[in-house]
Order: sequence, then C-alpha cells, then structure tokens
Amino acid sequence: MAAYLIRRVLGALVVLLVLSAAVYVIFYALPGNPAQLVCGPKTCQADQLHRIETELGLDQPIYLQYWHFLVGIFAGRTFSGGPEAIHCAAPCLGYSYQTGEPVTSLLLDRLPVSASLVVGGFVIWVLVGVGLGVVSALRRGRALDRVVTTATLAGNSVPVFLVGLLLLLVFCVYLRALPFPGYQPLTGNPALWAQNLILPWVSLSVVSAAVYTRLTRTSMLETLAEDHIRTFRAYGLSESRVIRRHALRGALTPLITIGTIDLATSLTGATLTESLFGLPGLGQLLVTSVRNIDLPVVVGVTILAGAVIVVANMVADILYSVADRRVALA
Amino acid sequence: MNRTPVLSIAAGALLAGTLAACGNTGGGSSTTAFDPKTCRGGTLEVLNQQDITHLDPARIYTSGGGNIPSLLFRTLTTRNRAAGADGAKVVPDLATDTGTPSDGAKTWTYHLRSGLKYADGSAIESGDIKYGIERSFSPDLPGGAAYLRDWLVGAKNYAGPYKDPKGLSAIETPDPKTIVFHLNSPHGDFPYLATATQFAPVPKAKDDGVNYEKHPVSSGPYRISTYQKNKKLVLTRNKHWSRSIDPERLACPDTIDITSGLNPDVINQRLAASSGNDANAVTTDTDLGPAQLSQLQSNPDLAKRVAKGNFPYTYYLTYDTTKAPFDKLKVREAFSYAVNRNSVINAIGGSSLGYPATTFLPAQKSMGYQPYDYFPAGKSGNPAKAKQLLAQAGYPHGLTVTLAHNNTADDPSGPEVATAVQDALKSAGITVKLQTVDSNSYYDTLNNPKTQPQLAVAGWGADWPSGGPFLIPLFDGRQIIGSGGNFNTAMVDDPAVNKQIDKINAITDPEQAAKAWGELDASMGKQAWYVPLYHGKDLALYGKNVKNAFVSDWTGVYDLSQLSVK
Repeated sequence: MAAYLIRRVLGALVVLLVLSAAVYVIFYALPGNPAQLVCGPKTCQADQLHRIETELGLDQPIYLQYWHFLVGIFAGRTFSGGPEAIHCAAPCLGYSYQTGEPVTSLLLDRLPVSASLVVGGFVIWVLVGVGLGVVSALRRGRALDRVVTTATLAGNSVPVFLVGLLLLLVFCVYLRALPFPGYQPLTGNPALWAQNLILPWVSLSVVSAAVYTRLTRTSMLETLAEDHIRTFRAYGLSESRVIRRHALRGALTPLITIGTIDLATSLTGATLTESLFGLPGLGQLLVTSVRNIDLPVVVGVTILAGAVIVVANMVADILYSVADRRVALA
Repeated sequence: MNRTPVLSIAAGALLAGTLAACGNTGGGSSTTAFDPKTCRGGTLEVLNQQDITHLDPARIYTSGGGNIPSLLFRTLTTRNRAAGADGAKVVPDLATDTGTPSDGAKTWTYHLRSGLKYADGSAIESGDIKYGIERSFSPDLPGGAAYLRDWLVGAKNYAGPYKDPKGLSAIETPDPKTIVFHLNSPHGDFPYLATATQFAPVPKAKDDGVNYEKHPVSSGPYRISTYQKNKKLVLTRNKHWSRSIDPERLACPDTIDITSGLNPDVINQRLAASSGNDANAVTTDTDLGPAQLSQLQSNPDLAKRVAKGNFPYTYYLTYDTTKAPFDKLKVREAFSYAVNRNSVINAIGGSSLGYPATTFLPAQKSMGYQPYDYFPAGKSGNPAKAKQLLAQAGYPHGLTVTLAHNNTADDPSGPEVATAVQDALKSAGITVKLQTVDSNSYYDTLNNPKTQPQLAVAGWGADWPSGGPFLIPLFDGRQIIGSGGNFNTAMVDDPAVNKQIDKINAITDPEQAAKAWGELDASMGKQAWYVPLYHGKDLALYGKNVKNAFVSDWTGVYDLSQLSVK
C-alpha cells in the first residue's frame, strides 16, 4: 500500500508538471498581449508597453518564465511593486498584476465558494439519483419506472442556465420565497448560507441527478441479473436483504469512481452555475482570467483543477478496492 | 465562454415572461418629488457584471472621474452633474475654477479650494496632486490614459517617482494651494483632462505602490468600508467631507453597496422585479437586454424606470486610404452610398441601441455636432449610385474586398454587423469576403498597420465630450504609428487638417472650440475617410425607490453621486 501510494504521488507530480507546461505553451499560442491589456484600452505607446513587459517579465523567453514559475513554487518569488518589492512566499503560484493579488490567495479566497456549491449539489444529485435509480430498477417496466425514465431524459437535456433562470423566475420573482442568491460564507450564518445556495445546488444537480438515476438503474438491473443474486434468493434470503446487503453493494461500486471524479471536476468547472448566480467561485475566476489573459491565475486554477482530479482518482481507486474485494491495489 | 450567446437568447425568452409578470404587480417610481435637502439616508445597491478595474486612481482609465471612482476621489476639475448637454461641461472640483491658461494655453494654473481634507482628516495640498500624477507614470501602475505623457513637457520617458524621485519639472507647486502645468503645445482641452482620476491627490506617506489600492485615501464623499475583489465594495460616508467643500456631489445615500460578478440577465431581472432591497438598486455597466426592450411598449411602469442616454460613440467602416482601391475618392464615396445603416442597427439589436450616423461626431452639442449627409444612402443604402461611382472609378464590374470582424456574437464589431455590411455591399456589386479575428486581438490587429485588414468594423468613444479626443487620434497624420496602437486606420495625413487641429487645440473657450471641431468634421466628411455607420445609445434600468436618475451627455448613464433612495 505504501509503495503504491508513493508511486501514485510521483505520477501525480509528473502529470501536474506536464499540465502546467502545456498551459504555458497554449497561452503563448493564444492571440492577445497581456501587457497591452494591463497598459490600458487606448493609446498605449510602444516604449510604455515595453516597460510593462519588462516589469511583468514578459520580455523573457517562455522557458525562463516557466522556470521562474517552478522555482517560485518551492522557494517563493519577489515581484516589483512600486516603492517596495512584493514578496510571494512559497508555495508561490505567481502574482496577478491585474488584480494585485498573489495567485494562492486568490485561489484560497474562491475555494470555499466552489466547495459550498459543489458539495451541496453533489449530496443532492447522489441522493436523488441513486434513490430514483434503485426505485426505478426495482419497479422495472411499471408506471413509476416509465415516469422516472422520461424525467431523466428531460433532466439530462436541460441546460444548467435554463434551469437556473427558471428557478430564479419562480422563487425570486413570482413567489418571492427566496432572495436573489449571493454568496454568504458558511462561517458567518449557516442558515443564510444554505438559503442562498438552495437554487444553485438544485440547478447544478439536475443534469447529474438524471445521469446518476440512469447509471444506478442500469447497474442495479445488471447486478440483479447476476448469478450470485440468484443463488442468494435460492438460499431463501429475504428479498429486502438480498437487495440491501448484496445487490446495492454490487450496483453502487461503479458509481464510486464516477462520483469522485464528477465531484472533483465540478469544483473548478461549475462555471455556468457560478456566473448565473453570481457566486465568486473558481470557475468564474478561470473565465475572467482567460478573458483578461491573466496567465498566472489561469495556470493557478488549472494546476489546482489538475491536482484535485489526480487526488480524486487516487481516492476513487482506494475506495473501489475497499468496496470491491476482487480489486487489489498493486 | 462560447455558450454565452445561447445563454442570452434563452434568457431573453425567459425574461420576457418575467417582465410581463412585473406589470401586474404595479409599482413604478416613487411619487414624492426629489429634494436635495432631504435626500440623505438609506443604502443604494449597485448590481454590476464587472468589478471596478482598480481602486488606485493612477490605474483607472475613465472619463469625467468615473462613476464609482468619483465617489472616492476628487480631481482638479470634474464633469458637471446635470442632465443632457449641460452635463457635458467641465466644472471645478478641488480647484476654484476650471483653470487659468497662459502662454497661449501652454501653461495652466489652478488654485485649490480652502478646507479640503482627506478621509483621515489631513489636509489636501497641491503637492499631493503632483505626486498622484507622477506615480501614474510608474510602469508598476499602468492603466491610465497617455495624454499626460504626451502633453507635459519632458514627460515622455519619465518612469515614475519610485525610480526617479526628482519628479516631473513640468508640474510646479509654488505653494500648497497652487499647481501649475507646463505643456509642450497648446491644449485648450486641459480642463477636460483634469477630470481624470490621475488628477486625484495621493498623500506620499500613504503610498505603497501596487498595494495602495487596498487602502486608497479617500477625498470624496465616501470611503471604503469593506472590499473584496470581484465580489463586493461597500462605501460609507467620509466624515471629513461636506457639501460646503464640494458643491458638485450630492451624496444622498448613507451607504453604497456595490456587488460585482453578476450575470447580465440576472441584473436586468432583478432591476425589473425591483423587489426588497432591489428597489434601491441600479447598475453602472449593464444595458437593457433585448427581452426588456421588447417589454417597454406594453409595460409603462417599467418604461418609467429606464434611464436613456448617449455616451458619445461612433461605429464606422475603416480602410487604408493610401492603398488601392480606397485611395480613390470615388470608391470611398461608393462605399458610403452602399451601406445599409438600418440593417446594421438591426444587427446590433435595433433602434433603441443606436441611431444612424452620417457624420463622424455624435449628435451632441458639446462635441460641436454639425449635421451633414454628403452621400445620402437613405435608410437602406443607394446601390445604384454606388455602382455608378464604382464604374467611374474604373470598376464597372464591381470589386472584391475583405472585411474583418471579431468572433463575439452581438458585438458592435461582431459577425452579425459584418454580414449586414456584406449584404448591402453585394447589391452595389461589391463582393465582400469575411475575415474572422479573435476578439481578444481584434483591436491589436486593426491598430497595427502591419496587420491592418483591408476593411474593418470599428468603434471610437470619447475620453471626454469634446471634438478633440474624438477626431485627433483618427484624423491627425502625426498620430500615425507604424507599429501597434495606431488609431488613424485611414492613414489620413492632410497638412490642412493637421494645421486646423493645432489651431483648434489652442482655443480655450469650449463653445468656440466645439464649433470649430464641428466645422472640421463637416469639411473632412467630404473625403469619406471613414464610413460612419451609427452612434450608440445607452439604456439602463433602475429600481422603484431610486430618484434623481438623470443622464448626462458625458457619461450616458445615471450618476451615482446624485442618486437618492429616500
């Protein structure tokens, strides 16, 4: 197990290294000059532009810029900042000249927002998805199953922003039951936090809940058709025991992998939900930074997203081996 | 990001429903009349998409001191807070007048009002204004306009006080109440430039470079209470400010609560619903969407809550007039006759967002607008006349050109507008090939003569409402820059025009200068160096409790310093 973990961690570091190098290269191929954007919308003269490029380190070759970035992660970096230089302590992911903040503090600032949104949404879509999927599989072919199957088809095809705008229309405009959402920190007032996040949670989870319902239903039907279930039934085990002890365990194991990865990707990828509800999360940060060609922030968010997914993969593999003893970690 | 267009269409459909619902709930603006004496109190909510770019006055690029910045920073002069054309005038702010020119408008002298204080109670002195300007030259604090660099004597290569503590000799402060500027050529527009936030005082002792924007020292009616970048900015009263030392700003609300990072459709949905705190809400960066526009006719309550304005802006077709075929006047005239301004305006969302342009200057008094239409294309173009002109120019079988546009849907330089131009030119026998340029680099491509497309859709807005900043960058031959940052995309270099520009620059009376700019525009129009398409209009909603939401010709949107929610 220890050797396995070490191997995985080393592999993860290589993945992150390649990922950050790729983002650097891609950004250089993209149109637009970050210094131009920093300089101002009009009449930025060549000499002024050059001075800003020097200040931002953009006049250096790309491999040197990337090297400084790598060194900064382990040793910290110093940036020019007027009368006094700004020190960015290790692990320094860079400094955003456009927002005047170190990238790490930008990420830490946005993380709780995205986590609040995604964890809440995840709980809803797993509970609803697995619940409906199991019920639907057990009532296969009956009216309830047909209703659920049709509903999942609809849920699967509705875009997030459409659900979001409909919810806002119904709950905030017609019924006025909820305020227009805005992020409230969990540490401040948990009730207010939840009240503001209900609509984003629901919008985020509609599509995933539909997908999970279908996955659970299929997986459950497959497991129920397997030999060992037939054997348990032949032994005379009660139907509820067969389902709860044996069928569910087999059926839900594949969902562990999907669920963990989905949770990880949504953390930095819930862009539409975040921008629709005005939640200042990581997805929104990524979109704004790409638009503003704010390279340090883009690299920071990408590395964070990559790290989260790599970790989620490891967690998924470990959980899988615990849930399914036929799989051994090696 | 490329999902945005779909989002706005779907949102539009939904919002149509929202607004219909609001019509039933009644409402409309509060009926009690606005009175500046009793307008104080309450919280004004501002719902925006983007956060303010910077809170450092050196780094803000904005005209008239800006809407939000003007709440925190006072400048030497400022825009007059009045509706329509009156609002396009310059008035004194920290200074006692709009400036005394001497040496043929090459020297400008200002005296400060007495009793001026920062939010920390310390006195504002002329040296602080000089220092504020100097630090805006630091490459660590870019973002401001380049006029100071161009206009001040010996400022071209100044690198700011951190690297060069001696400062700029072009700015003198003989005593703490006086400041004198020395320019390298006459500039009658200097009082307009002095409205920019670079003219806000910065106490040297409090300046810590890039970190200054985390705690800028306020000189305006409000100070920063809390600030979270891209989330929230809360402003509360500056106890050391009073109307007796600032006759321009009313500063009615006790608190101004600015939320950013919101979706434009949601902003309009909230302003239209105007429920709860949103009754006190406004926006400074979100125009009405197509969905609300279609509802205005049938919903008088909503129509009452729309502030209509015109931020001076012109959209036009541009080509290099030194290159074939556009070096021929007849070809340029043919293009001017061929365009269909109606279809272009439809492409940007209809007549509530723009009005046809046959002049380069927008139809505003302070710009010196003089109506002319030398190549009457009517509403939908005159292809017959265009064909005739092309034949005379040696193109009896028409010609083929490439038109560049960006890849943002519904953008003024986007694919829809390009297609509208393409269709109109086709009827005149001109075949248009479209060239898509990424939006991020559209203006970089257009404003670099090495990459400039043959034909492009472009827009130009004023840094202040006078003919100078509107015409000079596009028509002055000495402004042509061989590398990037060239706005004279027509490559016009006419000695008579250059001479006239210098002459008008020296005029210090705004009304006379306006008249002269209008005459210059009317004479240059005959050359068809650009093909004006339309001028922009601005529409913004405001909440039911919001009063005094007038719009000036300078900003095109209501003024946060004058609004009341009481």
